[in-house]
Amino acid sequence: MKLKKPEMTINGEIQISYNWSPGKAGERFFRDLRDHMKIMGTRCRKCSRVLVPPRIFCEECFTDDMEWVEVEPKGTLATFGDCYFSTDGKRLEKPWILGIVRLNGSNGGLIHYIGEATAEELKIGMPMEIVFKEQREGNILDILYFRPVKE
Amino acid sequence: MARRVALVGVGMQKFDFRKTETVEEMVFDVARNALEDAHLQKENIDSVVFGSAVDAFCGINNSDKTAIDASTGLWKPTMRNSTSGSTAVSTPILGYNHVACGLHDLVMVICFEKMSENASAQAVFSTVYDEAFVRPIGLNVPIQCGLEARAYLHRYGLTERQMAKVSVKNRGNALSNPYAQLPMKLTVDKVLESPYLSWPVKLLDTSPVTDGARAVILASEHVARELTDNPVWIRGVGRGADSVWFMGRKNNDLGRLDYAYLAAKQAYDMAGIKNPAAEIDYAEVYDPFTYKEMQHCEALGLCPEGGAGKMIDDGISLKEGTLPVNASGGLQGEGNPIGAGMSRLCWCYLQIKGQAGDCQVPKDVNTAVCNAWGGMYQYNAVMVVGRD
Repeated sequence: MKLKKPEMTINGEIQISYNWSPGKAGERFFRDLRDHMKIMGTRCRKCSRVLVPPRIFCEECFTDDMEWVEVEPKGTLATFGDCYFSTDGKRLEKPWILGIVRLNGSNGGLIHYIGEATAEELKIGMPMEIVFKEQREGNILDILYFRPVKE
Repeated sequence: MARRVALVGVGMQKFDFRKTETVEEMVFDVARNALEDAHLQKENIDSVVFGSAVDAFCGINNSDKTAIDASTGLWKPTMRNSTSGSTAVSTPILGYNHVACGLHDLVMVICFEKMSENASAQAVFSTVYDEAFVRPIGLNVPIQCGLEARAYLHRYGLTERQMAKVSVKNRGNALSNPYAQLPMKLTVDKVLESPYLSWPVKLLDTSPVTDGARAVILASEHVARELTDNPVWIRGVGRGADSVWFMGRKNNDLGRLDYAYLAAKQAYDMAGIKNPAAEIDYAEVYDPFTYKEMQHCEALGLCPEGGAGKMIDDGISLKEGTLPVNASGGLQGEGNPIGAGMSRLCWCYLQIKGQAGDCQVPKDVNTAVCNAWGGMYQYNAVMVVGRD
């Protein structure tokens, strides 16, 4: 059977709004981020790994014997990616950049925007720091972006 | 003790925007083709296993239910599997489990994806990210792959030019594949000149969105021996999964696919393969992006770790090379209807049977390997198939 252009399509739309629970660990993380500009992780009392984003259990030890610890708003750039498309798929003149930063004093990290630097100025392994938003609301966008640590 | 399981038929169709068809019609086409290929009737099939990665592509939730009638599944035990992109190989592994455990003798495995039905495949992809820590930032597939590809090239000192050679190879190979959506005669420079999606990934490093389905029929040993004198056996299966929290993985680097090495080791141990680079004759390697073929060649042991650049530079993975990879064109050339990436397994079967048509490689193929990848750099599924 040869494929051809169809004469008909049935048009529709699926629009559903959600109210996602940040979870026990997420709620504490976003509250401390909003109220104290702190990055919190959870440390496994068994293996001592510090998880960021925090979780209520350690997936290695499979225990919930965890304690909250503050980690530095600084770390090293693990990798980064630039993008010439907006989130809704439009082509951009100037790319935006996302990076994964491993946070000091933790075994984890965060993915966020990279600011105050072009892709050419970035290098895997370079020190980065968090720039916080002034008016914070209790979500991941309370972090404005990561920027390279100034010498 | 697991029973031996053989592949006894495949159902192919062209990957394309199949806008004249429903999911059900697409599935009927490949199911019938597989029955014809295996010389079987609908009544012979004991059970059906479906694989589809993301329902939101076709906009019908639990889309497996629309495929029951068309898959020979009526009044039979059916089941659906989904492990993101790795659905393409984890689904036939689920079918394998059905036969190996002794429950069924003939299982139809159907994988499909209809990605042309939505207004934006990227919008669908954006719904797979973690809602609290990742999605609000606007991560998308291009950057997701840019992050990984950059870490990979950095770790092993590989180049964009080597990536481009994979695109030239696979899209060129697809010129011989009648089921391919995007065969192209390219040059390395042309790939390098194509626009960046996210460094180092360019448009021509990327596989196209498409529609399509594939079917395979799996049989127990005694049934397979009734159907054919020289069955193609499933010799090894393996799967590995890593944490969804990709920002804090144990190995500290997205460049190395620990979970894929794990999946490959399982499959090779089961198949008794000690030196894959020497013992594997042919490979269909999951290549949604060119660097993924390179990473997967390493994880599957087809070249040394970090050696995928040299492998393509030396022409080893070319159709006429000593270890051809994706002579079908892979996802780059054939198209990438996520779940229906089971095409990788179909082409291993066709190469072993000597039925790959113009894609047939100029060497004997007794043992072949295929894999698939998915999730937040998370899943890998590996299958080794071959003759006795």
